[in-house]
Amino acid sequence: MRRDVKTGGHGLLGWVAGISLSVIVLVPFVFIVLQAIFPDLGRGSFAAPLAHLGRTLADPKLLHLTGNTLTLGLGVMLGCTLIGVPLAVARALFRVPFALVWDVLFLVPFMIPPYIATLGWIMSMQPRGYLQQLTGVNLGPLLFSVPGMVLIMSLNLFPVVYFALSRTIEAVGTRYGDVGRVFGARPVRAFFRITLPLATPGLAASLLLVFALAIEEYGTPAALGSRFGFQVLVTGIENRISDWPIDLPGAAILSLLLVGLSLVAFLIQRRILAGRNYDTVSGKPQAREKRALGALALPVSLAFALVAFLATGLPILAILATALSKTISGGLKPSNMGLQNFVEVLANSGGALQALVNSLSLGIATALLAGALGAITAYAVVKGRGRGRLALDMLAMLPSALPGVVVAVGMILAWNQPWLPFTPYNTPLILLIAYCCILLPQPVRYASAAFQQIGDNLEAAARVAGARPFTVFRRIMLPLVLPSLITSMLLVFAVASRELVASLLVAPVGMMTIAGFIWRQFEQGSVGLGMTMSFIAIVLTTLIPMLLIAVLRRIAGGRFTGLH
Amino acid sequence: MRAFTAVMGLALALGASLMASTAMADITVYSAGPGGLIDKLAKGYTDKTGVKVNVFQATTGKIMARIESEAANPVVDVLISASWDTATDFAKRGWLIAYASPNAAMVPDFLKNDTAVAQGISALGIAWNPASGTPRPTEWADLAKPAYKDLVTLPDPAQSGASFELVAALQARNGWGLFKDLAANGAIVAGANAEALNPVMQGAKAAVFGAVDYISLAAKAKGESIDVIFPASGTVIAPRPMMILKWSKQPDASKAFIDYVLSDEGQKAVAATYLMPARSDVKANRPLISDLKILPVDAAAVYGTRDTTLAEFAKLLAK
Repeated sequence: MRRDVKTGGHGLLGWVAGISLSVIVLVPFVFIVLQAIFPDLGRGSFAAPLAHLGRTLADPKLLHLTGNTLTLGLGVMLGCTLIGVPLAVARALFRVPFALVWDVLFLVPFMIPPYIATLGWIMSMQPRGYLQQLTGVNLGPLLFSVPGMVLIMSLNLFPVVYFALSRTIEAVGTRYGDVGRVFGARPVRAFFRITLPLATPGLAASLLLVFALAIEEYGTPAALGSRFGFQVLVTGIENRISDWPIDLPGAAILSLLLVGLSLVAFLIQRRILAGRNYDTVSGKPQAREKRALGALALPVSLAFALVAFLATGLPILAILATALSKTISGGLKPSNMGLQNFVEVLANSGGALQALVNSLSLGIATALLAGALGAITAYAVVKGRGRGRLALDMLAMLPSALPGVVVAVGMILAWNQPWLPFTPYNTPLILLIAYCCILLPQPVRYASAAFQQIGDNLEAAARVAGARPFTVFRRIMLPLVLPSLITSMLLVFAVASRELVASLLVAPVGMMTIAGFIWRQFEQGSVGLGMTMSFIAIVLTTLIPMLLIAVLRRIAGGRFTGLH
Repeated sequence: MRAFTAVMGLALALGASLMASTAMADITVYSAGPGGLIDKLAKGYTDKTGVKVNVFQATTGKIMARIESEAANPVVDVLISASWDTATDFAKRGWLIAYASPNAAMVPDFLKNDTAVAQGISALGIAWNPASGTPRPTEWADLAKPAYKDLVTLPDPAQSGASFELVAALQARNGWGLFKDLAANGAIVAGANAEALNPVMQGAKAAVFGAVDYISLAAKAKGESIDVIFPASGTVIAPRPMMILKWSKQPDASKAFIDYVLSDEGQKAVAATYLMPARSDVKANRPLISDLKILPVDAAAVYGTRDTTLAEFAKLLAK
C-alpha cells in the first residue's frame, strides 16, 4: 500500500480532530497559561507579567498540597487495581453468575456525583449516622482518615478499571491463553504471561484515567478532607478562586502544576505501551467461550455482591434515606419518613423540573459531540501518521488534568472577550463546550484502547479491496470500537448531566442545572431536598442508558457487545 | 462521515434549542444565596415593572471569581453579596454607581453608604441540637467545656466573611485563648456554613460555633432539632450589600430593582427567609439587631491583618 494514500484519509480526520480540539480544549487552556503569566488578564491587561509566580511557588503549603495530591492519586490507583482487576478478570474469562446484574450495579457509581456519594457515606458512618442508628456501630474514625478517603474514592472510580479491563480481556479472549496452554503452560501461567500482558493497553489507560480523575476530583476531598485537615491541589485551587481575595493567577499556576502531574503519568503510560503490538482483533473468527467457575462460583459471587453493595448500595440507600426523611435530626424512624421532598421536587419547587430537562438535554448533546470527537481523535492518534499525533493525544488528555473550576475560568476568560463577533458565553452552548472539554478524555481513552487492538491488516485489506479511507473508518473501524465508544458515551452522558463545579461558574444567567439545584439546596440547609434531586437524577441517568442499550441490543442483536 | 455530521448537527441543535429558552434579559443580577429569595425578588420586580431579571446565584466567592474573569467584558448590573467587604472593595476600585434609594430612608445609617445598601442582615450564633444530650450553651466559651468534647464544628473563616469577622472580633477582645481551648476540646473546622451545620443536624456534632443564623432558623422552622443562641457577650452581624456596577447599561432599571428590594413587599420577602430586614420598620419573626449585642469590628484593621489572623487560626485548629 502506498503510504501517501493512507495519510490522505487519516489526514482529514486528523484535521477535523485537531481543529475541534483546539477550539474546545486548547483555547481555554491557553488562556489559563496566559492568566498564570499576566495577573490582570481578566481586565484585558498584560501588565506585571509573572508577578505572582514567586509568591505562589514559595508558599510552603505548596509542597504539602502536591504531596497529598500524589498520595491520593497513587492510593486510589492502587485501590482501584485491587478492587477492579480481579473482578474484571473473573468477569471476562468466566461465567460469573448474575454477570449482567453486576455490570449494571457497577455502572451506577458513575451516575452518583462523588460529592453526593461522599455525603451519603458521611451521613451513614459519622457518629449517630445511619449505621450507628441501625446497628450501634460507629465507623467515623475510619471514614475521616486518608485510607477512608482513598477507599471511598476507589469505590467510586474502580468501575473505570473494571469496564475497560473486562472489555479488553474479553477482546483478547481466552483464545490466546488457550494457545499458550496447548504449548504446555499451566492456566495461571498462561494468564499472567499471555492474557494479562495483552490487556495492558486497557489496564494502563484506565489506571491513568483513574489517577487523573483522582487528582482532579474536588467533591470528596472537599467534603471529607476538610473534616481532618487533608488538603490537595484542587482544594487549594478552589480556595484561591472562591475565597476573598480572589487569586486567579495563583489558581492558574497551581492548575498548571496539576497538569504537569497528569502529563507525567500520561508519558509513563505511553512509554509502557510504546514499541509493542497489542493487535488481537484480526479477521479470523473467534470463539467467545467462557469457562465455568465450578466450586468458586459462590465466593466469586459474594465478592461481586460485596463490592456492589459498598460501591452502589450503601451510597444510594443513604441518599434515599435522607431524601425520605422529613427532618435530618429526626433520624431513621418510621414517623420521620415521608414523600414530601419528592412531592416538592415534582411540584417544580425552585425550578427543579427545568433543571432536570436542561441537564438531561445537555448530557445527551455532550455525549453525542464528545463521542464523535473522541472516535475521530482516537482514530487519528492510533492509526494516523505524522507529527501531529502526539500533540493531538496530549490535547485530548489535557482536560482530565484540569480541574473543572479551572476549565470554567479558562472558558470565561477566552469566550468573554469583547472583540469576539460571536460568543457562546452566556448561552447554554458554553456549558456544552465546557462539558465536552472536561469529558473528552473518556471517549478518547476508551476508543484508543479499542483501536489499539485492531490489527492494521484489517484496514489494509479493506483498502486493497478498494474502499476509500472514510469508508474504512465508517464500515470497519467504527463498528469494531462502537461497544467501547458507546460505553464511554454513556459515562459522558451521566457525568455531564450532573457536573457540579464548572456548571456553577459558567452556567448562563438564569439557567438552572441539576447540580446547581442540588448545591443550592445544600447551601440553604435543605439537605433532604438536595438528596431527593440527587436520587431522581441518579435513577434517570441510570435508566436512560439502560433503555438505550436494551434498544440497541434488540436492533443490533449479537453484534452489539457493549455492556452485555 | 455522514453519520458524524448528523451526530454533530444533532448535538448542536440540542444546544441551540436550549439557547432559545434563555431570552435576552433586561437586567442581570448576581446574588449570593438564599436562592429562593432572589428568585422571589426577581419575579416580584418583573411583575411590577415588566423588566425581566436574569439571575446568577452562587456563593459570594464564586460570584467574585466570575466577575474577575468577566472583567474585560462585564455583564452584571446589580450585585448582592453576603459580605459587606465586597462593597468596600468594589467602591475602592471605582466599580460602583452612587445611588440613594428613596426606600432606604428607614435603613439605619450603618447599613448603607453612597454606593451600597443592605438587602438584609444575618448574624452569627451558636446553632445547637437540643437532641444532642448536651446542656444548652449560652456563651461562646461554653463550647470549650468538657460537655462538648469532640462535638463542636466551626465554619471556615477563610470561606465565610462573617466567620472571619467573628474570629477577629473575639480574638481582639480576648486573644486566642478561647480558640486554643476549642482546639484542645476537639472542635473541627468543617468547610462552609452548610457543611458545618449538617453534622449537627444529624447529631454527629452538638453545636456550630458561629453559624449563620438564617439557615439554622429556616431549618428549625422546617422541624429540624436546632436552636440558635446569640451569646449575651456579643456576636457579629453580616449585612448583605446591594450594589449597582458602573458598567451597567440599565442603571435606571437597576436602581428600580434596589427600590423594589427595599419596598415593603421586598423586605417582607427578605424577612420570610429568616434574614433580618434592612429597614428597621419591617417586622420579622426572629431576633433583630436591637435584640443582639454587636461586637465592635474595625473593618480596616481586621482586614488589614486578615492573612496573619487566618494563618494563626489554621495553625490552632490544625486545619
